[in-house]
Amino acid sequence: MAPLVYCVSMTHPPLPAGPTVGRLGLESGKLGMWLFLVSEVMFFAGLLSAYIVVRAAHPAWPGSDGHLSVPVGTINTLILICSSMTMALAVGAADRQDARQLRLFLAATITLGLVFLGVKAFEYQAKFHHGIGPHTNIFWSCYFVLTGVHGLHVLIGALANGWVLARTRGDRFWATQRHLVELSGLYWHFVDIVWIFLFPMLYLI
Amino acid sequence: MAHAPVMSTSKYVMIWVWLAGLMLLGVALSELPIAPRTIFLLVLGLSTVKAMLVAAYYMHLRFDDRLLTMVALSPVPLVMVLVIALLLDKPHFLH
Repeated sequence: MAPLVYCVSMTHPPLPAGPTVGRLGLESGKLGMWLFLVSEVMFFAGLLSAYIVVRAAHPAWPGSDGHLSVPVGTINTLILICSSMTMALAVGAADRQDARQLRLFLAATITLGLVFLGVKAFEYQAKFHHGIGPHTNIFWSCYFVLTGVHGLHVLIGALANGWVLARTRGDRFWATQRHLVELSGLYWHFVDIVWIFLFPMLYLI
Repeated sequence: MAHAPVMSTSKYVMIWVWLAGLMLLGVALSELPIAPRTIFLLVLGLSTVKAMLVAAYYMHLRFDDRLLTMVALSPVPLVMVLVIALLLDKPHFLH
Protein backbone atom coordinates (compact mmCIF):
# COMPACT_ATOMS: atom_id res chain seq x y z
CA MET A 1 0.00 0.00 0.00
CA ALA A 2 1.33 3.42 -0.93
CA PRO A 3 1.37 5.82 2.01
CA LEU A 4 -1.17 8.63 1.96
CA VAL A 5 -0.10 12.23 2.43
CA TYR A 6 -2.52 14.70 3.96
CA CYS A 7 -2.16 18.33 2.85
CA VAL A 8 -1.83 20.30 6.07
CA SER A 9 0.22 23.26 4.97
CA MET A 10 -0.46 25.93 2.37
CA THR A 11 3.20 26.83 1.99
CA HIS A 12 5.95 24.60 0.69
CA PRO A 13 4.21 21.28 1.18
CA PRO A 14 6.48 18.28 1.20
CA LEU A 15 6.78 16.28 -1.98
CA PRO A 16 3.98 13.73 -1.99
CA ALA A 17 4.99 10.21 -1.21
CA GLY A 18 1.78 8.78 -2.63
CA PRO A 19 -1.69 9.84 -3.66
CA THR A 20 -2.64 13.08 -1.93
CA VAL A 21 -5.88 13.25 -0.02
CA GLY A 22 -7.82 16.49 0.13
CA ARG A 23 -10.13 17.85 2.80
CA LEU A 24 -13.04 15.82 1.45
CA GLY A 25 -11.14 12.65 2.29
CA LEU A 26 -10.84 11.68 -1.37
CA GLU A 27 -7.67 11.05 -3.31
CA SER A 28 -7.12 14.19 -5.37
CA GLY A 29 -6.09 12.33 -8.49
CA LYS A 30 -9.12 10.06 -8.41
CA LEU A 31 -11.51 12.96 -7.78
CA GLY A 32 -9.88 14.91 -10.60
CA MET A 33 -10.21 11.97 -12.98
CA TRP A 34 -13.89 11.53 -12.10
CA LEU A 35 -14.54 15.23 -12.66
CA PHE A 36 -12.83 14.94 -16.05
CA LEU A 37 -14.96 11.89 -16.88
CA VAL A 38 -18.09 13.87 -15.96
CA SER A 39 -17.13 16.42 -18.62
CA GLU A 40 -16.54 13.56 -21.05
CA VAL A 41 -20.00 12.16 -20.29
CA MET A 42 -21.50 15.52 -21.27
CA PHE A 43 -19.40 15.55 -24.44
CA PHE A 44 -20.65 12.15 -25.57
CA ALA A 45 -24.19 12.87 -24.32
CA GLY A 46 -24.28 15.83 -26.68
CA LEU A 47 -23.15 13.70 -29.61
CA LEU A 48 -25.53 10.82 -28.85
CA SER A 49 -28.45 13.18 -28.22
CA ALA A 50 -27.81 14.83 -31.56
CA TYR A 51 -27.75 11.39 -33.19
CA ILE A 52 -31.09 10.38 -31.59
CA VAL A 53 -32.77 13.64 -32.51
CA VAL A 54 -31.47 13.62 -36.08
CA ARG A 55 -32.62 10.04 -36.44
CA ALA A 56 -36.05 10.75 -34.94
CA ALA A 57 -36.53 13.74 -37.19
CA HIS A 58 -35.47 12.05 -40.40
CA PRO A 59 -38.45 11.03 -42.57
CA ALA A 60 -36.64 7.98 -44.00
CA TRP A 61 -33.62 7.03 -41.90
CA PRO A 62 -31.15 5.43 -44.31
CA GLY A 63 -29.39 3.21 -41.75
CA SER A 64 -26.38 1.12 -42.61
CA ASP A 65 -28.25 -0.61 -45.45
CA GLY A 66 -26.52 -3.89 -44.68
CA HIS A 67 -23.01 -2.44 -44.79
CA LEU A 68 -22.36 -2.90 -41.06
CA SER A 69 -21.55 -6.43 -39.89
CA VAL A 70 -23.23 -7.22 -36.57
CA PRO A 71 -20.95 -10.26 -35.94
CA VAL A 72 -17.83 -8.11 -36.45
CA GLY A 73 -19.24 -5.41 -34.18
CA THR A 74 -20.18 -8.03 -31.59
CA ILE A 75 -16.69 -9.55 -31.58
CA ASN A 76 -15.14 -6.10 -31.30
CA THR A 77 -17.42 -5.32 -28.35
CA LEU A 78 -16.35 -8.56 -26.65
CA ILE A 79 -12.72 -7.54 -27.21
CA LEU A 80 -13.28 -4.18 -25.53
CA ILE A 81 -15.16 -5.77 -22.63
CA CYS A 82 -12.24 -8.21 -22.24
CA SER A 83 -9.86 -5.25 -22.09
CA SER A 84 -11.92 -3.74 -19.29
CA MET A 85 -11.54 -6.96 -17.32
CA THR A 86 -7.76 -7.08 -17.85
CA MET A 87 -7.57 -3.40 -16.83
CA ALA A 88 -9.45 -4.15 -13.62
CA LEU A 89 -7.09 -7.08 -12.99
CA ALA A 90 -4.12 -4.73 -13.59
CA VAL A 91 -5.43 -2.37 -10.89
CA GLY A 92 -5.71 -5.33 -8.53
CA ALA A 93 -2.16 -6.45 -9.36
CA ALA A 94 -0.82 -2.93 -8.69
CA ASP A 95 -2.56 -2.95 -5.33
CA ARG A 96 -0.91 -6.26 -4.50
CA GLN A 97 2.43 -4.88 -5.76
CA ASP A 98 2.65 -7.78 -8.19
CA ALA A 99 4.87 -6.31 -10.90
CA ARG A 100 4.75 -9.29 -13.20
CA GLN A 101 0.97 -9.52 -13.28
CA LEU A 102 0.59 -5.75 -13.52
CA ARG A 103 2.75 -5.64 -16.64
CA LEU A 104 1.01 -8.69 -18.07
CA PHE A 105 -2.50 -7.27 -17.61
CA LEU A 106 -1.51 -3.78 -18.76
CA ALA A 107 0.10 -5.23 -21.89
CA ALA A 108 -3.02 -7.34 -22.49
CA THR A 109 -5.24 -4.28 -22.10
CA ILE A 110 -3.15 -2.28 -24.56
CA THR A 111 -3.08 -5.17 -27.03
CA LEU A 112 -6.85 -5.68 -26.85
CA GLY A 113 -7.36 -1.94 -27.33
CA LEU A 114 -5.14 -1.96 -30.40
CA VAL A 115 -6.95 -5.04 -31.76
CA PHE A 116 -10.22 -3.14 -31.31
CA LEU A 117 -8.78 -0.23 -33.30
CA GLY A 118 -7.43 -2.65 -35.91
CA VAL A 119 -10.89 -4.16 -36.43
CA LYS A 120 -12.33 -0.64 -36.66
CA ALA A 121 -9.71 0.28 -39.24
CA PHE A 122 -10.63 -2.88 -41.17
CA GLU A 123 -14.29 -1.83 -41.08
CA TYR A 124 -13.41 1.70 -42.22
CA GLN A 125 -11.29 0.35 -45.07
CA ALA A 126 -14.16 -1.91 -46.21
CA LYS A 127 -16.54 1.05 -46.20
CA PHE A 128 -14.16 3.24 -48.20
CA HIS A 129 -13.61 0.34 -50.61
CA HIS A 130 -17.37 0.31 -51.27
CA GLY A 131 -17.39 4.06 -51.80
CA ILE A 132 -18.99 4.73 -48.42
CA GLY A 133 -17.73 7.71 -46.44
CA PRO A 134 -18.97 10.47 -44.14
CA HIS A 135 -20.39 12.22 -47.20
CA THR A 136 -22.63 9.26 -48.22
CA ASN A 137 -25.65 10.12 -46.07
CA ILE A 138 -26.62 11.27 -42.57
CA PHE A 139 -26.23 7.79 -41.06
CA TRP A 140 -22.66 7.37 -42.24
CA SER A 141 -21.83 10.91 -41.26
CA CYS A 142 -22.98 10.11 -37.70
CA TYR A 143 -21.25 6.70 -37.80
CA PHE A 144 -17.84 8.08 -38.72
CA VAL A 145 -18.06 10.97 -36.26
CA LEU A 146 -19.19 8.82 -33.32
CA THR A 147 -16.84 5.88 -33.95
CA GLY A 148 -13.98 8.22 -34.92
CA VAL A 149 -14.21 10.23 -31.71
CA HIS A 150 -14.53 7.03 -29.69
CA GLY A 151 -11.57 5.47 -31.50
CA LEU A 152 -9.51 8.53 -30.66
CA HIS A 153 -10.38 8.00 -27.00
CA VAL A 154 -9.34 4.34 -27.23
CA LEU A 155 -6.02 5.41 -28.73
CA ILE A 156 -5.45 7.97 -25.95
CA GLY A 157 -6.32 5.32 -23.36
CA ALA A 158 -3.87 2.84 -24.91
CA LEU A 159 -1.14 5.50 -24.93
CA ALA A 160 -1.88 6.34 -21.29
CA ASN A 161 -1.66 2.67 -20.35
CA GLY A 162 1.58 2.37 -22.32
CA TRP A 163 3.00 5.34 -20.42
CA VAL A 164 2.02 3.73 -17.11
CA LEU A 165 3.48 0.40 -18.25
CA ALA A 166 6.80 2.10 -19.05
CA ARG A 167 6.87 3.68 -15.59
CA THR A 168 6.49 0.32 -13.85
CA ARG A 169 10.19 -0.26 -14.46
CA GLY A 170 11.19 2.47 -12.03
CA ASP A 171 11.41 2.18 -8.24
CA ARG A 172 9.62 5.51 -7.89
CA PHE A 173 6.51 4.01 -9.45
CA TRP A 174 6.28 1.30 -6.81
CA ALA A 175 7.07 3.74 -4.03
CA THR A 176 4.70 6.57 -4.88
CA GLN A 177 2.94 6.22 -8.23
CA ARG A 178 0.96 3.00 -8.21
CA HIS A 179 -2.27 5.00 -8.12
CA LEU A 180 -1.59 5.98 -11.76
CA VAL A 181 -2.81 2.51 -12.77
CA GLU A 182 -6.19 3.17 -11.21
CA LEU A 183 -6.46 6.62 -12.82
CA SER A 184 -5.59 5.24 -16.24
CA GLY A 185 -8.02 2.39 -15.57
CA LEU A 186 -10.89 4.77 -14.79
CA TYR A 187 -10.40 6.41 -18.17
CA TRP A 188 -10.21 3.04 -19.92
CA HIS A 189 -13.43 1.79 -18.33
CA PHE A 190 -15.17 5.01 -19.34
CA VAL A 191 -14.14 4.41 -22.95
CA ASP A 192 -15.65 0.91 -22.62
CA ILE A 193 -18.92 2.34 -21.27
CA VAL A 194 -19.17 4.73 -24.22
CA TRP A 195 -18.86 1.81 -26.63
CA ILE A 196 -21.48 -0.15 -24.65
CA PHE A 197 -23.96 2.54 -25.77
CA LEU A 198 -22.51 3.20 -29.23
CA PHE A 199 -22.54 -0.41 -30.40
CA PRO A 200 -26.30 -1.05 -30.10
CA MET A 201 -27.24 2.41 -31.35
CA LEU A 202 -25.19 2.07 -34.53
CA TYR A 203 -25.24 -1.68 -35.19
CA LEU A 204 -28.42 -3.07 -33.64
CA ILE A 205 -31.19 -0.50 -33.51
CA MET B 1 -5.13 3.41 -4.79
CA ALA B 2 -4.29 2.70 -1.22
CA HIS B 3 -7.97 2.16 -0.46
CA ALA B 4 -8.78 0.40 -3.72
CA PRO B 5 -10.52 -2.81 -2.81
CA VAL B 6 -9.30 -5.88 -4.59
CA MET B 7 -11.95 -8.26 -5.82
CA SER B 8 -10.89 -11.78 -6.56
CA THR B 9 -10.00 -12.68 -10.15
CA SER B 10 -13.03 -14.95 -10.33
CA LYS B 11 -15.33 -12.04 -9.48
CA TYR B 12 -13.80 -9.88 -12.20
CA VAL B 13 -14.30 -12.74 -14.65
CA MET B 14 -17.89 -13.20 -13.43
CA ILE B 15 -18.61 -9.52 -14.14
CA TRP B 16 -17.17 -10.04 -17.62
CA VAL B 17 -19.47 -13.05 -18.14
CA TRP B 18 -22.46 -10.88 -17.18
CA LEU B 19 -21.32 -8.09 -19.50
CA ALA B 20 -20.81 -10.46 -22.41
CA GLY B 21 -24.08 -12.27 -21.71
CA LEU B 22 -26.12 -9.06 -21.56
CA MET B 23 -24.44 -7.84 -24.74
CA LEU B 24 -25.31 -11.07 -26.58
CA LEU B 25 -28.87 -10.85 -25.20
CA GLY B 26 -29.11 -7.37 -26.72
CA VAL B 27 -27.90 -8.70 -30.08
CA ALA B 28 -30.46 -11.54 -29.93
CA LEU B 29 -33.29 -9.17 -28.98
CA SER B 30 -32.47 -6.91 -31.90
CA GLU B 31 -33.09 -9.84 -34.25
CA LEU B 32 -36.58 -10.56 -32.89
CA PRO B 33 -39.69 -9.27 -34.66
CA ILE B 34 -40.47 -6.65 -32.01
CA ALA B 35 -41.54 -3.05 -32.52
CA PRO B 36 -38.42 -0.90 -33.12
CA ARG B 37 -39.26 1.44 -30.25
CA THR B 38 -39.56 -1.51 -27.84
CA ILE B 39 -36.21 -2.87 -29.02
CA PHE B 40 -34.73 0.61 -28.63
CA LEU B 41 -35.84 0.77 -25.00
CA LEU B 42 -34.84 -2.84 -24.22
CA VAL B 43 -31.38 -2.59 -25.77
CA LEU B 44 -30.60 0.78 -24.21
CA GLY B 45 -31.88 -0.56 -20.88
CA LEU B 46 -29.42 -3.45 -21.16
CA SER B 47 -26.66 -0.98 -22.02
CA THR B 48 -27.49 1.01 -18.89
CA VAL B 49 -27.26 -2.14 -16.75
CA LYS B 50 -23.88 -3.01 -18.33
CA ALA B 51 -22.60 0.53 -17.74
CA MET B 52 -23.66 0.30 -14.10
CA LEU B 53 -21.85 -3.02 -13.72
CA VAL B 54 -18.64 -1.53 -15.15
CA ALA B 55 -18.90 1.60 -13.00
CA ALA B 56 -19.78 -0.30 -9.81
CA TYR B 57 -17.27 -3.15 -10.00
CA TYR B 58 -14.52 -2.35 -12.52
CA MET B 59 -14.39 1.34 -11.58
CA HIS B 60 -14.87 0.44 -7.89
CA LEU B 61 -17.69 2.92 -7.24
CA ARG B 62 -19.45 0.26 -5.17
CA PHE B 63 -16.49 0.21 -2.78
CA ASP B 64 -15.31 3.84 -2.95
CA ASP B 65 -16.53 6.84 -1.00
CA ARG B 66 -20.18 7.62 -1.84
CA LEU B 67 -19.14 11.16 -2.72
CA LEU B 68 -17.42 9.76 -5.81
CA THR B 69 -20.67 8.02 -6.80
CA MET B 70 -22.47 11.35 -6.48
CA VAL B 71 -19.81 12.99 -8.67
CA ALA B 72 -20.15 10.17 -11.21
CA LEU B 73 -23.95 10.47 -11.27
CA SER B 74 -23.97 14.28 -11.40
CA PRO B 75 -24.20 14.46 -15.21
CA VAL B 76 -27.20 12.08 -15.35
CA PRO B 77 -29.86 14.74 -14.58
CA LEU B 78 -28.15 17.09 -17.03
CA VAL B 79 -28.17 14.41 -19.73
CA MET B 80 -31.85 13.69 -19.04
CA VAL B 81 -32.70 17.38 -19.37
CA LEU B 82 -30.67 17.56 -22.59
CA VAL B 83 -32.34 14.50 -24.16
CA ILE B 84 -35.89 15.43 -23.10
CA ALA B 85 -35.46 19.04 -24.22
CA LEU B 86 -34.22 17.92 -27.61
CA LEU B 87 -36.90 15.25 -28.02
CA LEU B 88 -39.66 17.73 -27.14
CA ASP B 89 -39.01 19.07 -30.61
CA LYS B 90 -39.95 15.63 -31.95
CA PRO B 91 -42.93 14.65 -29.75
CA HIS B 92 -43.91 11.74 -32.01
CA PHE B 93 -40.72 9.97 -30.91
CA LEU B 94 -41.99 9.91 -27.31
CA HIS B 95 -45.29 8.20 -28.16
